[in-house]
Amino acid sequence: MKIAICSSFVPFIKGGARNIVEWLQDELVAAGHQVERIYLPQVDIPDLLLPQMAAYRWIDLASSADRVICFRPPAHVIPHPHKIVWFIHHIRVFYDLWDSPYRGFPDDEKHRHIRAILHHADTTAIKEAKRVFTNSQIVSDRLRQFNEVDSEVLYPPIIKPERFHCQHFNDEIVYVCRVEHHKRQHLLVQAMKYTRTNVKLRLCGVGVNQSYIKEIEEMIQTLKLANRVFFDNLWISEEQKVQIFSECLAAAYIPLDEDSYGYPSLEASHASKPILTTKDAGGVLELIKHNYNGLVCDPDPKALAEAMDQLFTDREKTRKMGLNATQRITDLNISWKRVLERLLA
Amino acid sequence: MKIVFFTPVLKVSAIGRVSSLVVPQLLKLGHEVVVVRTEDPGFFEKPIHPFSCRVIFWTNEEQVLQLATQADLLVYQIGDHYPYHRGCLEWLPALPGVVSLHDNFLGNLFFPWAEKIGRACAIEQICTLYGSEVARRFFDHADAASFISYASEFAPMTEWVASMASAVIIHSGWSIDRIKTACVGPIEVVPLPYDAPYASYATNSRRQIMDGRRRVIALTIGHVNANKRYTSVIKAIGMSPLLRSCLTYRIVGAIEPPIKKDLQALAKELNVEMVITGEVDDRTLADEIQQADVMCCLRWPVLEAASASTIEAMLYGKPAIVIDTGFYHELPDDCVLKVAIKSELTDLQRVLEYLVDSPDEGIAIGKLASQYAHKTFRPDYYATRIIAMKQRLDRSQLILNAAQVFSDQLKNWGAKGDPEILASITAPLTLFK
Amino acid sequence: MKVLVVNNMAPFIWGGAEELAVHLERNLIIAGHDAEVLRIPFQWEPVQSIASQMLMVRAFELWNVDHVIALKFPAYLIRHPNKTLWLLHQYRQAYDLFDTGQTNIPDDATGKEIHTIIRAADHEAFTESRKIFTNSDITKQRLKKYNGFDAEVLPPPLNDPELFSGGKSQGYIFAGGRVNAMKRQHLLVEALAQAKPHVRLVVAGPPDSPDDAMRLQSLVEQHGLQGRVKLDLRFLTRRELGQYVNEANACAYIPFDEDSLGYVAMEAATARKPIISSSDSGGVLGLVRHKETGWISDPNPTSLAEVLNLACCDTAAVQSMGHAANKLWSDMNISWPATIERLLS
Repeated sequence: MKIAICSSFVPFIKGGARNIVEWLQDELVAAGHQVERIYLPQVDIPDLLLPQMAAYRWIDLASSADRVICFRPPAHVIPHPHKIVWFIHHIRVFYDLWDSPYRGFPDDEKHRHIRAILHHADTTAIKEAKRVFTNSQIVSDRLRQFNEVDSEVLYPPIIKPERFHCQHFNDEIVYVCRVEHHKRQHLLVQAMKYTRTNVKLRLCGVGVNQSYIKEIEEMIQTLKLANRVFFDNLWISEEQKVQIFSECLAAAYIPLDEDSYGYPSLEASHASKPILTTKDAGGVLELIKHNYNGLVCDPDPKALAEAMDQLFTDREKTRKMGLNATQRITDLNISWKRVLERLLA
Repeated sequence: MKIVFFTPVLKVSAIGRVSSLVVPQLLKLGHEVVVVRTEDPGFFEKPIHPFSCRVIFWTNEEQVLQLATQADLLVYQIGDHYPYHRGCLEWLPALPGVVSLHDNFLGNLFFPWAEKIGRACAIEQICTLYGSEVARRFFDHADAASFISYASEFAPMTEWVASMASAVIIHSGWSIDRIKTACVGPIEVVPLPYDAPYASYATNSRRQIMDGRRRVIALTIGHVNANKRYTSVIKAIGMSPLLRSCLTYRIVGAIEPPIKKDLQALAKELNVEMVITGEVDDRTLADEIQQADVMCCLRWPVLEAASASTIEAMLYGKPAIVIDTGFYHELPDDCVLKVAIKSELTDLQRVLEYLVDSPDEGIAIGKLASQYAHKTFRPDYYATRIIAMKQRLDRSQLILNAAQVFSDQLKNWGAKGDPEILASITAPLTLFK
Repeated sequence: MKVLVVNNMAPFIWGGAEELAVHLERNLIIAGHDAEVLRIPFQWEPVQSIASQMLMVRAFELWNVDHVIALKFPAYLIRHPNKTLWLLHQYRQAYDLFDTGQTNIPDDATGKEIHTIIRAADHEAFTESRKIFTNSDITKQRLKKYNGFDAEVLPPPLNDPELFSGGKSQGYIFAGGRVNAMKRQHLLVEALAQAKPHVRLVVAGPPDSPDDAMRLQSLVEQHGLQGRVKLDLRFLTRRELGQYVNEANACAYIPFDEDSLGYVAMEAATARKPIISSSDSGGVLGLVRHKETGWISDPNPTSLAEVLNLACCDTAAVQSMGHAANKLWSDMNISWPATIERLLS
C-alpha cells in the first residue's frame, strides 16, 4: 500500500512526537509498504491557527496515497478518502488546559470564538476519518468529552524493544527523560533527603529550560546529595539507555498529568524493571499498577522516599515487579504487530 | 449590548407588532435598544405600537449614524412593502446587520426602490441575480397580479436583500437555499413570534342564526389581495349543498371596491352566504376570530416566510385551513388542516364539510394548535436567537478575517476571481462553517 | 545556525532534487549547522489547484529556523526573513514550456489567471529572497528572461568525490549516466564499430525504458561487438560506478544540449580522466577543452570513432589530459563546503 504518514512538527525539535511517526515508518517499510512521511510546520499562536489549518486543508494526497495516517494537530484536517487518525493530543490550552496557567492568552470573547471554531473544525475533521485511534485512555476520554468522537486506544510501542534487557539490579533509581519542570525531576531530588536506605538516584537527559537545570544542580548541592544523586545532563544515546536500564534498580517516571505512559516507562518495562510513579502522573497509570509492576504514590517527597526505600530493601519484590512489567506489555498488547494490524485494517 | 433596531412601528403593520413583542424581550435581557422607524415619512403621524425605549426616525441621519457606530448590533425587520420598510433599504447597504426577513418574495419592496435608483440600475441588479431574460421581462407586466405571479417564480429578489445582510433570520425553512447562496454570514430559522392579545377576553357572542340553525363561521382576515384564495373558498362552498346551507364566509380586512364587487358577484352567483366587513379595529378583529369556527389561511403563491395571521389563528385556538406548502407544510399535521393546491377546491370542500359534521374535531384541532403555537412562536426565544446571532457573527468574522488574508494575497498576485480557482480554494474550507 | 532546506514533494517519487536536498542537509551538518529538509507535497494537476497550494505554502509559519534554503516552486514561496533560493528550476510550465506549448496550463480564463498569479508570486518570492542562486546557466538565463532577476550560478557539487579517486587505466572508454535517446550512447556503440580493434567501450547506467536497452543490445549484435562492448544496463551503486570510472582511460558523455556540466563529466574530472564530448552537448563543454582536457567531436559515429582511437593510445598524453581536466574542475571550486558557504553568505 502507499501510505502517507502526516504530522505537524517544529524544525529541529526532535524526540517524543516524532518517534511515534518515524518508528511507524520503519515498521511499515519493513512490512513491505511504500511510505512517505510528511512533516509540516505549525505554531500554536491563537491568531494563526485558522490560516494554518486552512493550509493543511489544501494538501492533496488523495491522488497519490492509498491511505493517510495523521498524528499531531492539525494533521488530522488533511483531507483524504481513507484517513486514519492516531490522535496524540489536542492543542490542550484550547481544550482541557483552558482553565490553567498554561493558557498564555486572555479568556476573552475573541479567544472563546477561536476555541469554538477550533473545536468545531477538529470535530468535523476527525469525524472524516475511517478510524480514530489514540495513544491512551486519557486522550480517548478527552476526544469523547470535547469532540464527541469514539476512539480506540492503540498504545505506541518502542522501536526494536528486544534491545532492552535485564542484566542485574544496582542501587540506582534512574529517571531517563527530558529535564523539564513538568517532568518534576526536582521532586525526586527532594525525596532523596528523606530516604533512609542507601538508594541512589540518577537523572539522565537534556532540556531547553536552563534555569530549571540550574535549579536541579543547585538543589543537589544545597541538600548535600552529591554522593547519592547523579545528574547526567547529556544527550543519552540509545545504546547508553539500554545499558542504564539493564543495570538499574528501578525506573522513575513522574511527569505531571501527562497524556500517555511515556516511552521511559515502556523501556523500563521491556528491561524488566519496575517503575516508580505518582498518582497524578496521568497516562502512566494506564501502564503501572501499584504493587504489580511498580509503585504509585502521592506526589510528595516523603511518599516518594518511602517508595524508593521499599524498592531498595525488598529486592525480591522489586525483581518480581520487574517481571510483571514485561508481562504487562503483553497483556496490553503493546506491539508493532498490533499497531500495523489496526492501522492497516 | 447596544442594539439599533430598524423596523416599522405602525399599528397596522404586522411586522411592527412583531417588533413590539421582541424589543421588550431584548430590554428584559438587559440590552440597550433604540428603535429606528423605517416607514415612509408620510406615515410618521399615524398610530404606532407602544415601545418603552427610544424611537427615532430613519430620516434623522446624524442620529442614526451616531447610534450605529456605537452599537454592538444592528437588526433590520424587512418585509415586502416599500412604504413601511423604506428606511431599511436606505440604511442597510451602508450599515450591514442582522436581517429578519419576513417575506421571501420582495418584489413589491423592490419595485418602488427600482424607480428610485433608476430603471437601468435596477435592471442591472436583476440581471446579475437572474439573468438578462428575466431582467427584461421583470418590468413588462400589465398588472400587479401578473407581476407577482411572474416575479415570485423567476425573480423573487430574496437574494438582493440577503446579500446585503451580515446574517439572516428567517421564519421557516423553505427558502433557505436562495438565502444561503446570497448571504455569506450565518442563517437561522426562528419561529415568528406573535400574540393573540384578546385571546383571554370574553367575546361578544353574537351567534348568527339562520333558518333556525346556528351558522358555521369560516373566516379570512387581513388585507384583501389575490393570493389569499377567496374565490377558491367561495367556489368550494358553492360546490356543496351542505356548506351552502350552514356555512357563512366572513372576510375581514381592508378591501378595494372593485375586488369587493367581484367577490360579492361570485358569491351571489354560487349561492354562498358571505359577509365582507372591510377594515376593523383590533378589538373587533379579535371578536371575529373568537367567533369563527374555522380560519381560512390559504396562500398561493406563498410569498411570506411565515404567516402572522395563521399563527394568530392558532394562538386563538382555531382550526386553520392552509395550503400544504412552505411555512404551512412545516406546521404539525394535527394542528392545522392541509389541502393540496392541485386539488384545492375538492380538498377545501371536504375539509369544510368535515368540520361542519364534526365540530368537536375542529375544537380539538384548535386546542392542539393553541398549545403548539404558544410553545413555538415566542418573542422571548426570538430575542435570545437575535443575541445568539451576534455571537455567530463575531465568530464568522474571525473566519472571514482569516479568509481575507488569503483573498488579499490572491489579489496581490493579480487574481480576478476565476470561479474554478476559487472553488478549489474554498471547497475544503467548509470545515469551518 | 539552524538551516531549513525547503523542497517540493511528489509523494512516493524520489529523484535528483530529493537527492540534492539530502546531500545539502548532510553537508550543512558536516559544516557544523543544524539542518533539516522540509518537503512540501505538491501536485500540479488539476491546474486550478496550484493556487490553493501556493496559498498553503504562504500560510506556513516557521519557528526555530535561522535560515531557509528553498529549491523549487512552490516551496520557495515559504515566508522567512532569511531566505536563499537555490533554484533548480521554476514552474517551467508557466515559462519556457508555456511558450513551446508543452504546458498543463490551459488557454482559457482559468489558465490565464493561474499564469498571472504564478508570475506575480514568483516576483514576490524573488524580491523577498536575500540571494538567488541557480543550479545551471540555463536556469539563470530563464530567470533573467522571464522574471528579470539576476542570479549566481552555483552548480551542485559531486556528492561523493572520494569515490572517484582515479587509478590505473584498464584500456576502455567508460560511458556512464542514464541511458536514453537524448544521451545518445547508441552513437558511441556505432562509433566503436568504426574504431580500431583494440578500443573497448563500457556503457553502464539505468535505461529509461526497455527499448533504450534493446537499442544498444541490437547495435552490439548487429556490428558484432560483443567482445569489445560491455553493456551493464542497470542502477549501479556509487561504488560500482566509481570503480568503472577509476579504471577507465577516458569517459565519454555526449548528451544533446545538456543544461549543466553533468555529473558524468564531474565524476570523470574528479577521477582525473579526460572527457569525450560532442560539439552540441551544451553545458558539458564547460569541462572539455579540445585536446587539453578531452576531445570535442561532431555528433556522428565517424568523428567519434577518431576520438575513441585517440583516447586509447599514447597513455602519457591521455594521462596528462586527465590531470588537466582535474585542474580545470578543481579551479571551479565546486565543492560542498564552498557551495554551503555561498548559500549562507
